[in-house]
This record gives sequence, structure tokens and C-alpha cells, in this order.
Amino acid sequence: MGLSLGEQHFIKGGIAQDLRTDGRKRLTYRPIYVETGVIPQANGSARVRIGGTDVIASVKAEIGRPSSLQPDKGKVAVFIDCSPTAEPTFGGRGGEELSSELALALQRCLLGGKSGAGLQSSIHVLVPGAGINLSSLLIKEGKVCWDLYIDGLVISSDGNLLDALGAAIKAALTNTAIPKVNVSAEVADDEQPEIDISDEEYLQFDTSSVPVIVTLTKVGTHYIVDATAEEESQMSSAVSISVNRTGHICGLTKRSGSGLDPSVILDMISVAKHVTETLMSKLDSEISAAEACEDES
Amino acid sequence: MLLSVLQTGAVSSASGSAYAEFGNTKVIVSVFGPRESKKAMVYSDVGRLNCNVSYTNFASPTLGQGTDHKEYSSMLHKALEGVIMMETFPKTTVDVFALVLESGGSDLSVLISCASLALADAGIMMYDLITAVSVSCIGKSLMIDPVTEEEGCEDGSFMMTCMPSRYEITQLTITGEWTTPNINEAMQLCLDASSKLGEIMRDCLKQSASASDE
Repeated sequence: MGLSLGEQHFIKGGIAQDLRTDGRKRLTYRPIYVETGVIPQANGSARVRIGGTDVIASVKAEIGRPSSLQPDKGKVAVFIDCSPTAEPTFGGRGGEELSSELALALQRCLLGGKSGAGLQSSIHVLVPGAGINLSSLLIKEGKVCWDLYIDGLVISSDGNLLDALGAAIKAALTNTAIPKVNVSAEVADDEQPEIDISDEEYLQFDTSSVPVIVTLTKVGTHYIVDATAEEESQMSSAVSISVNRTGHICGLTKRSGSGLDPSVILDMISVAKHVTETLMSKLDSEISAAEACEDES
Repeated sequence: MLLSVLQTGAVSSASGSAYAEFGNTKVIVSVFGPRESKKAMVYSDVGRLNCNVSYTNFASPTLGQGTDHKEYSSMLHKALEGVIMMETFPKTTVDVFALVLESGGSDLSVLISCASLALADAGIMMYDLITAVSVSCIGKSLMIDPVTEEEGCEDGSFMMTCMPSRYEITQLTITGEWTTPNINEAMQLCLDASSKLGEIMRDCLKQSASASDE
């Protein structure tokens, strides 16, 4: 990002005085617009716009086998794609590093722990208490479960991609309808049971424990929330914290940059918790408004 | 976990290398560079860092295919880029190759600590040695340096990389659900362990330096 020295000083000075270039305070988010059901063929989808950042998340559910390590849980995989429409450098292999970093951070926040080394890193096993309840994806223990594939697409990037993707995934999960499955016949242990996927009845996914992600960017000695691309270019480091409804930290990733003092990180955690309260209620109201809009149309 | 072995100069053909054994986790890291950047046609006045982490076929208890671990490679890169003085080797690249010979838990923390030892052995200028410690939360209890079995049933994990002398954290990843007092406690545990590990690493470097003087 090409910024002149004067512009850099303007951004840093503004942040120090609690007045950013677009007039916001340090801990204020840009207006968030949520639309759900944007992709009819997917089980659930949402589009979130935060200022100039535009992302789409879609959830597709397919029938699969539970892993042998966790036979009573379904599986979720998160993939992120940064489209070249956002930045020309994202074309081809360019956006791969950013995509995998975002996918990793989202997986950490939504799903909890990782599987051990040597196993395929795209499908992860659940740690209890984390965002998505994988036991609800189970159809028959050890045999049949739902595999959720969550895909995120970055259409336009103006900073704060992780928060936007987190919000989009939360909205998409709220919009997700998993078809009801009847296990038709009882079969012997080593055979696959027959399943009947209903076309009419759907189950709404429970998203009350899905966390929101707040990225705090440190510029100079102050933190800002929801940085634009210009502000991100001036950051010394950033920490993304995911907090759930009960106020517990579900995941934390320190992004690249210079080192931080431990007290700064603890301070950031308390700031993030404070910001999450307003963000979570704002997001919930936006999502329910979007769902209501979609029901009417 | 028990720190059994920590030595530098394990690979004689590399600019710098280190071998570490923490309990059952055995890791060897070799550093090549600064050497000519093949890809960089563009002039850059800071150096480049290239990290690669791979597992051997026999590293994990179940036979996995020895693949490059992209996740760990990028995390190692992020941990190291905050501490290496890139301005001291413009136009060139430093390559860090890490190989996990046996995976017994806390792999990434051992990798990061071993990599910083190898970089010091290679003479790459850094702001400080970095040490990485991981803590697992099972129920209400925290345990430092979990082994594979403990990692399998953990409720949350906390991995911190810090510079012991400067008292700064360069990388922090938390997964699972944590309350703030737990995070405070885990952070204190990690900082204490980091400073002890930092001293052990310094002793190891001093020993190898005095051994080469003789």
C-alpha cells in the first residue's frame, strides 16, 4: 500500500487522538450489512459487508463417515478463497498464503483444537466447548454423520478480513438448514445403514455458542478495532480474539509483527471482551433482520 | 516433559543446526544462509526468510506419509520473522529446514526453540533467542509441555513464543474455551518456563562456542 510519509503520520496521529481518518473512534466498527440465503443451492449462506470489505460464506452439508478417532461427532472443514477481484495479487498462487492463514485462524476459533500431526489438516476434530457442536451432526454413531464444508470467499478487501469472515460464517450457520435423516433399516455392525434424506423437513443449526472474532490492531501505543487496509499497513502487530456469548475466550491468534508485552495482550483480551458485547448484539440483530427479510421474499 | 538433549552443530554441512530431544519429541533443524535468493528478481533491502517443516514417515505412532506440514511451516515463519534482524542480510535468503524425527507432543514449541538455537549457531543476527512453550488445559488443570496422549484429550491449548530477555511475546495461539484467570495463569507458567529454557539454550551455545575455541 503506497502511503506518503504525511499520510502515515496523519493515520498514526489520528489514532492517538481517538479520531480515525473516517471519523470513527478507536473501538467503533464500520456499519455491518448482512444478507442471508444468497446462494440458493447451498445449505446455508451469507454475505457480510463491513465498510469496503465484502465476503461471502456458504455452508454445504454432505453425508459422510465419522472419523474412527471420534465416532460420535460429525466433521467440519473450513476453506477460504481470496478472489483476484479483491486484489490483483490474489490471482493464482498469490492469495494462497493469506487464505491458509485465515482458514487456520477461523478453524481455531470455531472448532477448537487441531488434530494431531501427520493427519490431514483440513478436517479437524472437536474440542468440547468450542463454537460448533459436532455431536448434533451425528446421524448414526460410527457409521453416518454430516460433513459440513464451510467456504469463505473474499470479494473485496478493505481490511479486517478475519472479523468479516467470522461474522459471515456465523450468519451462514444461522441460515443453515440440515435435512432430516431417517435411518431406514437396522443392519449388522459392519454394514452401512440405509438412510432416507427427507426433502421437506429441515433442522435449523444451533448457533448460540458460535463465537465472534474481534481483531485488535496495535498502532503506536493504542489499539483499534476494525482497521481499514490503510490502517493495517501502519500496524505494529495485531491480535485476533474470538469470544463467545458467555465471555470465554474461544481462540486467540497473534498475527505477525513485532513482539508484544504480556500485559498488553492481557489488556487486549479485556478490551476484546468489552467490544464483543456490542458486536455480538449488533450482529445478532442484523442476522435476524436478514433472516426475516429472506423469509418474506 | 524432560529436556534430554539440546545440542548445536548436528549437521556439519549447514551454516547452523541444532538437535533437540524433549521427552519423546525429537527434532533436528538446519539453517542455510544467508545465501542468494533465486526467486527474488526484485531488489529488497530486507532479507527473506524461508521455513519448511516436514515430518518423517516414522514420526507418528500411526504410519503417516512424511509430508511437508504447511501449517507448522507458516507458524514457524511467523514466530521467527519477528525476531530476526532482516535488515542485516538484504537481497539474500535464510532457509530454515526442520525435520521432526519423532512426534511425542508439543511439536511446534520444540520446533521453534530448536530453530532459534540453530539460527544462533549459524550466526544470523537476532534481537533475542526465542523460546516456545505450550500449555494444555484439561478440565480445570493446566499442564505444561503436554505429550501426545494429553494433547489428545485436552480441552484447550495455549502456545506462546517469547523473547525471554526482552520479556516480549512474538506469537500466541489459543484454542478451546478459556476463562481470563486461566489465561493469566497459563501466561505466567509459560513466561517462567521460557526464561528457564532461555538460560539452558544460552548455556548450550556457550558450551559449543568454548568447545570450538579449543
